[in-house]
Amino acid sequence: MFKNILFATSATEASDHAARVAFNMAQIYDANICIFHVLGVPTRGFSQIVMDVKTKEKVEIDDEYIAWVEEEIKVHYSKQLKTAKSYNIKVRIGFPHREILREARISAPDIIVLGGSTGNDEDSVYKKSTVGSTLQRVAKAAPCPLLVINRPAASFWGGISKVVFGTDFSKASDAAFKFAVKLTKNRGCELNIFHALDISSMHMGRLLTQDEIESQIRESLRRIRGRYIDEIKEIKDYSFDVWEGLPYIEIVKYAREKHADLIVMAHHTQKTSNEDARLGSNIEQVIVRAGCPVISINK
Amino acid sequence: MPEGKYCNKKPIETEEELKELLSDTGGKKYYEEMKELDVDSELLWKTIGNTLKSRTKTWLEICAHCGMCADSCFLYLINDRDPKQVPAYKIQSTLGEIVKRKGKVDNEFMHMVMETAWAKCTCCNRCGMYCPHGIDMGVMFGYLRGLCYQQGFVPWELKIGAGMHRIYRAQMDVTNEEFVETFKWMVEEYEEDYPGLEVSVDKEDADILYTVNAREVKHYPEDLAEAAILFHLAGENWTIPSTGWEQTSLSMFAGDWAACKMQVESVYSAMERLKPKRMVGTECGHAHRATVIEGPYWAGRSNGKPPVESIHYVEWLAEALREGKLKVDPAKRIKKKVTLQDSCNYIRNNGLKEITREIMSYIIEPGYFVEMTPNKEHNFCCGGGGGFNGIGIFRPQRNKALITKRDQLINSGAELVISPCHNCWDAIRDLEDEYKIGIKWSFLKPLLVSMVEIPEHLKPEE
Repeated sequence: MFKNILFATSATEASDHAARVAFNMAQIYDANICIFHVLGVPTRGFSQIVMDVKTKEKVEIDDEYIAWVEEEIKVHYSKQLKTAKSYNIKVRIGFPHREILREARISAPDIIVLGGSTGNDEDSVYKKSTVGSTLQRVAKAAPCPLLVINRPAASFWGGISKVVFGTDFSKASDAAFKFAVKLTKNRGCELNIFHALDISSMHMGRLLTQDEIESQIRESLRRIRGRYIDEIKEIKDYSFDVWEGLPYIEIVKYAREKHADLIVMAHHTQKTSNEDARLGSNIEQVIVRAGCPVISINK
Repeated sequence: MPEGKYCNKKPIETEEELKELLSDTGGKKYYEEMKELDVDSELLWKTIGNTLKSRTKTWLEICAHCGMCADSCFLYLINDRDPKQVPAYKIQSTLGEIVKRKGKVDNEFMHMVMETAWAKCTCCNRCGMYCPHGIDMGVMFGYLRGLCYQQGFVPWELKIGAGMHRIYRAQMDVTNEEFVETFKWMVEEYEEDYPGLEVSVDKEDADILYTVNAREVKHYPEDLAEAAILFHLAGENWTIPSTGWEQTSLSMFAGDWAACKMQVESVYSAMERLKPKRMVGTECGHAHRATVIEGPYWAGRSNGKPPVESIHYVEWLAEALREGKLKVDPAKRIKKKVTLQDSCNYIRNNGLKEITREIMSYIIEPGYFVEMTPNKEHNFCCGGGGGFNGIGIFRPQRNKALITKRDQLINSGAELVISPCHNCWDAIRDLEDEYKIGIKWSFLKPLLVSMVEIPEHLKPEE
C-alpha cells in the first residue's frame, strides 16, 4: 500500500513523533523512506544567502554546508535509519510547503508524512516569509494522502486497530472514504464513520430545537448508510455515528472515545491566506488537537 | 597580478564556470584575487572612446558643482550629509576622474569606484530631477558600472547574476523546461478552485504574452498561479513563451552590456515568434526598465521600442479594473491604512504614478489610502535598488540605506504597504526584519485574487 514514503521533517524534536511513525511504516510496508528537509528560506533577493531554520542565522549556502546538514540528519535519525531497508536524504532550500509539494510532484510518493508544528513562535524561520502554515499549504495541494503527527501517537503504525473516518459528504470526502476503506481492509481493522452536525454556524445564530437536531441526526445517518454501505460490506467491524456540536471538537472527542489510532479526513478548504488562517479549517483544528495521527486527503 | 581564477575580466561563459564561481562561498577568494587584479588602462580608455557619448561628456563638463543634487540623494541624507555622498561628487570623483586620467587608474582606485557605483548609488535617478541642468547621475553610474564590469571590478553576486543570464537567460538557474513545468503545475494546483484555469504555452497571436521574474518560478510560484487566475477571471487570451520568458536583468545591475543584450533579445525573439498583441510583465520594476525602456537600445532597435507594445503589470491591472474585466467585491476592499511604494524604475522613469493610484482607488475603501512623503516621482528608492539588496559585502551600507524608507513608512501611519516591485518588496521585508516596525507588505496579485468577484460562469460547482 505504501512503497514510497516522503517524510518531511524539520529535523528537530517537533518532528520526532512523526519520525517514529514514518520509520515504522517504512518497516511494515518494506517501503523506501525519503527524509526530506528544507534547511533554509531564501533571503536577500537574488543572492545565495538563506536563513537557517535551526540556527536562525543567515548562512551562505554551498555544497559543504548542505553536506554538513545531511550528516546532521543522519546523526539525528541514526537509530531509525538502521531499521530502514531503503532510504535517501534530500536537503533543499526554499519555502517548505512549496518544496515539499515540488518533491511530491517529482517523486510521486504514496504518502507524505509531516511532523508537528515548529511552534507558533514569531521567530520561526519557516513562517517568516509566508502567510499560513506549511501544514495548511501542503494539505491543500498534496497530490497524495498526507499523514500528520502533531502529538505523540499512543500507538504507532504497526498497532493500528481503529480508524475514524470523518465525513462532510463532499466530493473530497468520497476520496478520503475510499482511502479509509482501502486502509482498513489492508490492516484488517475497525472502521468508524462519523459525521458532526455543525450547530454553530449553519443557522445564522438561530437556536435549533432538540427535535430539529435529532431529525437532522437521523437524516445524516441515512445519508451515511446510503452513501457508504455498499463499499464496507466486506469490513467486519464498522460503525456509524453522528454527533452534534462544533465539528472539529466532536471528531476529536469521538476519536478519543473510540480509542482511534488514526483519523482520515478530506481537506478541501480554499482558505489559506486570510489573516484569520490560524483558526484554519476543521481538519487543521483536528490535526492540532487529535491524540492520534491524522490523514488528510484532498483528491 | 594578471587574471585570477575567480576574479577576472572574462565574463562567465559556461555552466561549469558559473558553478565554480558559486562554490567560492561569499566570494572570499574572489575578493582576495580582486586586490591583485590589474587595470587594463588601454582597454578602458579605448572603451571610453567608443562608448562615452556626447550626453555623458556634456554632463561631466557642465556640472556646476552647485550641490543642488545633494538633498535629493537619500544616501547623502542618511549618511550625515557626508560631502562624499553628494551625487555630483560621487560621479566626478569616479567616472570624471577616469576620463580625466585617460583611463590610467590603479587597482585601489577601482576598488573605490566599485564601492561608489554599487554601495553609494542605486541608480534611482532622483538626483536627475533636481539638477538644474538635468544631469542624471544614476544614468552615468549605470554606464560606469559597465566600465567596472569590463575591468573585473564587480561585486561577486552580480558577476554570478550576469552569468546566470548568460547561461540560462534567467537571473537564476531555472531552465525553460522548469519554467513551463512550474507554470503548468501551478495551474493544476488551482484548477479545482478555478474551473477552466489553464495556461497555453507558445500560443501565436494571443492578446497577451506574459513574462516573469525567475524568482517567482524558483521560490514562490504562487505568483504564477495568481497571474493565471487574474488573466482567467478577466477573460484574457494570454500565453507564455517557452523561451524568452525572463523579463529581469541582473546583467543591467552588473553592467554586463553584452549579457543585457543577450537577455533582452531572447524576450524580443519570443515576441517576434509568437506575435502577441501586447506583452505584459510581472510586478517588477527593473524588469520593466530592462525589457521595455532600456532594452530596445541594447538590442539596437532604431525606434527605441520593443517589437510589440509592452506594458507593466500595473498598466494591465488598472485597465482590467477600469474596463470592468475584473470587478472588486466592494465588501472585500482593504479597510486599513495602506500606502504605496513607488518603484523608481517605472514611476520616476516611466511615468506610471497615476496608474498605480487608480488601482488603489479600486481596491482600498475610500479614506484608507495614505501617501508617503515624498511620493510619486519624488519618492525615495526603497533602499535596495540597483542590485544593492543582494550584495553581501555592502550589506551594512544597504541596511543603513533602508532607514529612509523605514521612516517614510512610520510617518505614513500605514499598516500595509503595497509594493508592486520585487526589489522594493525585498527591501521592505528586510527593513521589517532589521528594524521591526510592524509593517506588512504585499504585491498586488495576492490582494486582487482575494477580492475580485468570480463571474457566475467561472465559479466552481457545488
